[in-house]
Amino acid sequence: MRFSLAAPLLFSTLVTALVPARAFAHHSFAAEFDARKPVELKGTLIELEWVNPHAWIHMEVKDESGKVTKWDCELGSPNLLMRSGWRRDSLKKGDFIIVNGSAAKDGSNLANAKTVKLADGTRVFNAGSSGDAGTPGAPVQ
Amino acid sequence: MCVDKVRFNSILHLFFCLALCCLAPAPSGAQWLDYPTKGIPRTPDGKANLSAPAPKLPDGKPDLSGLWLGDQWSPAGRRPNPPGNARSSPPEMLPWAQKVFDERRASQIKDDPEARCMPQGVPKASTLPYPFELINASGKLVMLYEMYSLRREIFTDGRELPKEFISPSWMGYSVGKWEGDEFVATTAGINDQVWNIDLAGHPHSDVLRVTERFRRVDFGHMDIQVTIDDPKTYTKPWIMPAMRYTLLPDTDLLEFVCEKNIDPQHMVGK
Repeated sequence: MRFSLAAPLLFSTLVTALVPARAFAHHSFAAEFDARKPVELKGTLIELEWVNPHAWIHMEVKDESGKVTKWDCELGSPNLLMRSGWRRDSLKKGDFIIVNGSAAKDGSNLANAKTVKLADGTRVFNAGSSGDAGTPGAPVQ
Repeated sequence: MCVDKVRFNSILHLFFCLALCCLAPAPSGAQWLDYPTKGIPRTPDGKANLSAPAPKLPDGKPDLSGLWLGDQWSPAGRRPNPPGNARSSPPEMLPWAQKVFDERRASQIKDDPEARCMPQGVPKASTLPYPFELINASGKLVMLYEMYSLRREIFTDGRELPKEFISPSWMGYSVGKWEGDEFVATTAGINDQVWNIDLAGHPHSDVLRVTERFRRVDFGHMDIQVTIDDPKTYTKPWIMPAMRYTLLPDTDLLEFVCEKNIDPQHMVGK
């Protein structure tokens, strides 16, 4: 019984691994973001922008010196997010959030969000548009 | 006076409409995301019975209609390849095509027009993580794609593909016919702005012909086998790995318009 569940899971994981990560977004992930440049952003939500082809988290991040920097974090599309049960009000302005993701290759304050958590650790959007298992709107794997 | 009367009537009309809205039952689901599909086979627990027999059209042919999502994007994952997939074959590119393909891979496919929200073309549009809907109409099978809200018409009225295309298009021109239980669609006239025919980045030329063989296995499952015939790009016709789909019951297509696309300005490639 255990095998019958594990085998299709393993197979689908293998197949998914063969599919280019770009397939999850409308563009190539690797052309825009660098998976080797992980970022963790802690700050306050300015706006959850609910637009296709990608929803965006706009947030303010304060460093140790108190300097505030604005970051833009890419999520999956609203369509994919909605089909996964998320809504435009799943995050509210002023929410303290922790975003883990990959930074843009061009050095701008832009990231692809892999996971989004509230202060209490609750995961929102079950995690970016990069195609990782935790991608908001991506299928559960 | 007359104007006042008109205004009064308008206000009365508005109140009447508002009252009707208040009386109307609240919608059972969020927009159309979870609206129950009527008339489909269900298991005793009320779920769609995806393993029920494939529905038939009045003429006895399988009815392909429904919302379909590629298995690799569904929570259940991709089903194993069908037996017929043994026919799939890797593409053998002509030198120019191989060079273009290699360049694309090296640049992380950053110049794919899809990143600028341009249509994906055929068959790539059917390989994405969004559903498409098949609708039977008189003389045609209509494909509505959720992503970028694209559509295709596959004419089934017996017409032949034109020999020349005065206006090649992003989604091409398609005709279809039944061969046993398989619906065979042939597409040509795809323009040169469609950059890649698949997610891997394979190129095409103006003589591309795409043959899609649709087979509805049962109520909840469909396969499409795609053959790429493009003698200016490939040494011989090649068959893509089987594309497998699962029906999405109790939902409808959502609109998808690229309202704000800021990715291209940040896409540096390597």
